[in-house]
Amino acid sequence: MNLEVRHLAFRHPNASSDLFSDVSFQLPAAGFHALFGPSGVGKTTLARMLTGDIRNFHGEISRDGSRRVLYTYNLERLPGWSSVRRHIEETAPPARRRQAGELIAEFGIEGCVDARFSRLSMGQQNRANLVRYLLQEFEVLIMDESLANVDELTREKIILKIKALFPERCFLYISHNVAEVARFCGRVLVLRAASKAPQVVCIQGADQAAERPAPPPQLLERAMLEIVHAA
Amino acid sequence: MLLRRIYQFLMIYALGIALLLALKYGLGLSDYVVPGPGEIGRTAAVYAGPYLLAVLNTLAVAILGHLLAIGLATAVAILGRLTAWVGSFIRTAAYNIQAYPIVAVAPIIFILLGDGLASRLLIAAMICYFPLLLSFIGIFSEPVSEIEHFYESTRRTTWRLQIKIRAFENVHKISTVVVGSATMAVVGTIVAEFIAATAGIGYSIRIALYQSDLAKILVALFLIGVVTSLYLVSLEGLGNALQARLRRS
Repeated sequence: MNLEVRHLAFRHPNASSDLFSDVSFQLPAAGFHALFGPSGVGKTTLARMLTGDIRNFHGEISRDGSRRVLYTYNLERLPGWSSVRRHIEETAPPARRRQAGELIAEFGIEGCVDARFSRLSMGQQNRANLVRYLLQEFEVLIMDESLANVDELTREKIILKIKALFPERCFLYISHNVAEVARFCGRVLVLRAASKAPQVVCIQGADQAAERPAPPPQLLERAMLEIVHAA
Repeated sequence: MLLRRIYQFLMIYALGIALLLALKYGLGLSDYVVPGPGEIGRTAAVYAGPYLLAVLNTLAVAILGHLLAIGLATAVAILGRLTAWVGSFIRTAAYNIQAYPIVAVAPIIFILLGDGLASRLLIAAMICYFPLLLSFIGIFSEPVSEIEHFYESTRRTTWRLQIKIRAFENVHKISTVVVGSATMAVVGTIVAEFIAATAGIGYSIRIALYQSDLAKILVALFLIGVVTSLYLVSLEGLGNALQARLRRS
């Protein structure tokens, strides 16, 4: 196991009730997984705990072998003083600069990366930001609504590309799209209100990949029903 | 922008002159108290040249003082954001010190430094320094988390990068504060010259006051208004050009 969370409990300062009462789950070292749940249930807070940004919680988070856990969210911006391409190239480690061009082309932003970030549409901005993160050194990347405002076909292409290019890394995809997480994710962690037990339910997704045939519709439907039922 | 600012100034100036003349003729005041239009015109013809040089002298000191204040405020604000307590200490100190009217402190500066360039420069800088400092501390201490998050999580954050991001994101605010404080720098220089100096338009106004010559004071005010408007328009132009350049892709 790569990431293991045991008996996590947390309450925001000045809040009257717990956000997490007893959260426990495990994630394998590699794979494309999802964190799913209704708005306000604590997905982003949990992600911040996994990265180490929030530390004042009870319980234990074990990052065995995962020294670098990165978190990216869909409202991030690139500085506006130079083009998106230049920023991506400047922030990519030298060994990964060659991969930048491939990701830019595969993510469908080749035509706009020479403009400044503010000139891009929201979907293009999210893709450019994601490219920047994918080029970094990390063991776990938490993608919080990172593909928001991107059309369904492009999202599908991007997720399959990420799975093909980085099979040795662990991704935790935060999304509200049941069909998407059921289809592309290996494990779907459904986070529920603190009053429910267990607070996290782990459901097996169809884990579709480019090199494998599409999963049968029955499998997808079952995964989707389980996710919706658990949430 | 230039024409608008000049029009605005001319309108206010004309209103002021009209009010003075209305008082003069309404209350039957003598030319000694409020000079007539002819007297003002004749004074302008004789003193416009030397007074323009005096205003330019004042403006040069004001610009130097303004630059000094901008540099100092930037440096202190950058230091102020290093740690929470240093920032808090500088902010509190700045709020307390700015509560003192610099004009009240000015005599101490003149006693220590005499009435030369250094005193004028220091007073001009001090008058516009604190508003600049408080704004810069606010700008440089406020994280732009949606941009800085990436650099922090990938451990690339340096203080230079942090300042660059925050300054870039607040360039409009910085430009407005710099233009606003320019007026204060000019006012500060004139006040310093008025209290104790041997050059500049404030010094000329003090002499005119001793002579009870309102016509000279009105000519000086006209030139101060025109030259200050030109300076502010130049600063606004620079700020707009910088912002336009930053926005271009």
